[in-house]
Amino acid sequence: MNNLLIQLKDISLSRNDKSIIRDMSLDINSSTVSNIYGHNGSGKTTLLKILTGITEPTSGEIINNIDQYGSFAYIGHKHGIKNNLTLNENLLYGDSENFYDQNMIDKVIDTYNMGKYKNYLAKNLSHGQQKKISLMKANISSSRIWVIDEPYSALDKDSVCIVDQSICDHIKSDGAVIMSNHELITNKPFNINNIEIN
Amino acid sequence: MNSFLKNIKKEFLIASRAGLEVLMPVMYLFIIMVFFNISISYVEKDIIVELIPLMVWISCLLICVLNLETIFKDDYDDGTLDMFVINDRYIERDIMAKVISHWTLSNLPVVIIAPVLSLILGLDVQTTYVLFITLLIGTPTMSLIGSIAAALTLSLKKNKILISIIVLPMYIPILIFGTSAVNNSYFGIGYESEILMMMIIFLIFLLVSPIACSKALKISLD
Repeated sequence: MNNLLIQLKDISLSRNDKSIIRDMSLDINSSTVSNIYGHNGSGKTTLLKILTGITEPTSGEIINNIDQYGSFAYIGHKHGIKNNLTLNENLLYGDSENFYDQNMIDKVIDTYNMGKYKNYLAKNLSHGQQKKISLMKANISSSRIWVIDEPYSALDKDSVCIVDQSICDHIKSDGAVIMSNHELITNKPFNINNIEIN
Repeated sequence: MNSFLKNIKKEFLIASRAGLEVLMPVMYLFIIMVFFNISISYVEKDIIVELIPLMVWISCLLICVLNLETIFKDDYDDGTLDMFVINDRYIERDIMAKVISHWTLSNLPVVIIAPVLSLILGLDVQTTYVLFITLLIGTPTMSLIGSIAAALTLSLKKNKILISIIVLPMYIPILIFGTSAVNNSYFGIGYESEILMMMIIFLIFLLVSPIACSKALKISLD
């Protein structure tokens, strides 16, 4: 049974007298994948930031039923990795709260076929490989909700399959995934709740 | 290893791979001291010796202001600050880890080298010792104060001048007590009350800065 994790009620956000989001309501349940899609500047990233609590809405209510720290793994436009740390070190030191053992890190690195680059500095990796490190960080964390801004950008076909599999595994373990994209997403090995934002 | 030490270890690891950046503050200290000495070379030697502690204090203050911007900037630019603010139950503790690492890497080398330079330039041992103590208390206080301004101005592109405008007036008491203590020691007068006042200011900002920083970071990311 799906449980309500987060509920947005009539959320609005304005900046400099310009309305960015108007009366948006959204329910995020466990074991679901939500895709927020819309054109450039429609407020997708802003909505993700409101969900994670980075941005405060101008009006409306956010009900967070999993009011606990570490509940979000957020991957924004920036990858959230350190260029002067290796792939392995980024996973080891990536979370200031939790400690991960090396076996767990090795396992996720193998899942993403990045074993060869384990000791490479992140700055020497490609944009797509850096994206994979940030996705690995979400994978390794105990976060219940993954919030990912454009998860498939810069990824090749094989990597997209790996990400899809990770998302499947995550929702099976009662998690939830909220992603943003420019377009409606279909033909995935999981059900997606597509939400258009204008 | 607890989370606090883990964060400090991470900062040191990143700094160790940043090349010669760590040596820049010390190089800057050398340059300022050389410029000061050239500009006052016509003054009598006794007066120059009197001015050395003031020169050192001003140099350390400028070095401290110049590198304040870097406390949170990299984390903001690479996006790690987002996760830090979203999920960190003990954000104040991790801010402390960041400020301590920043001070150790940017200011501690200057605090160690500055008294050595003062001795070379002819300052007596007792005054040099007091100078070292005042810098040891004063520079972390300046980093703590500066971290609030750095967090507040994080999202601004050209924030260096703004940081200086915000923090420099707040550094005045530290500068006054620091230089007074060293001058008193030079003239053989008691300096304990000045050092005590500096410690009180340090303790106040040790308590206030992490809380103020966490709020300022949230505002900057919004």
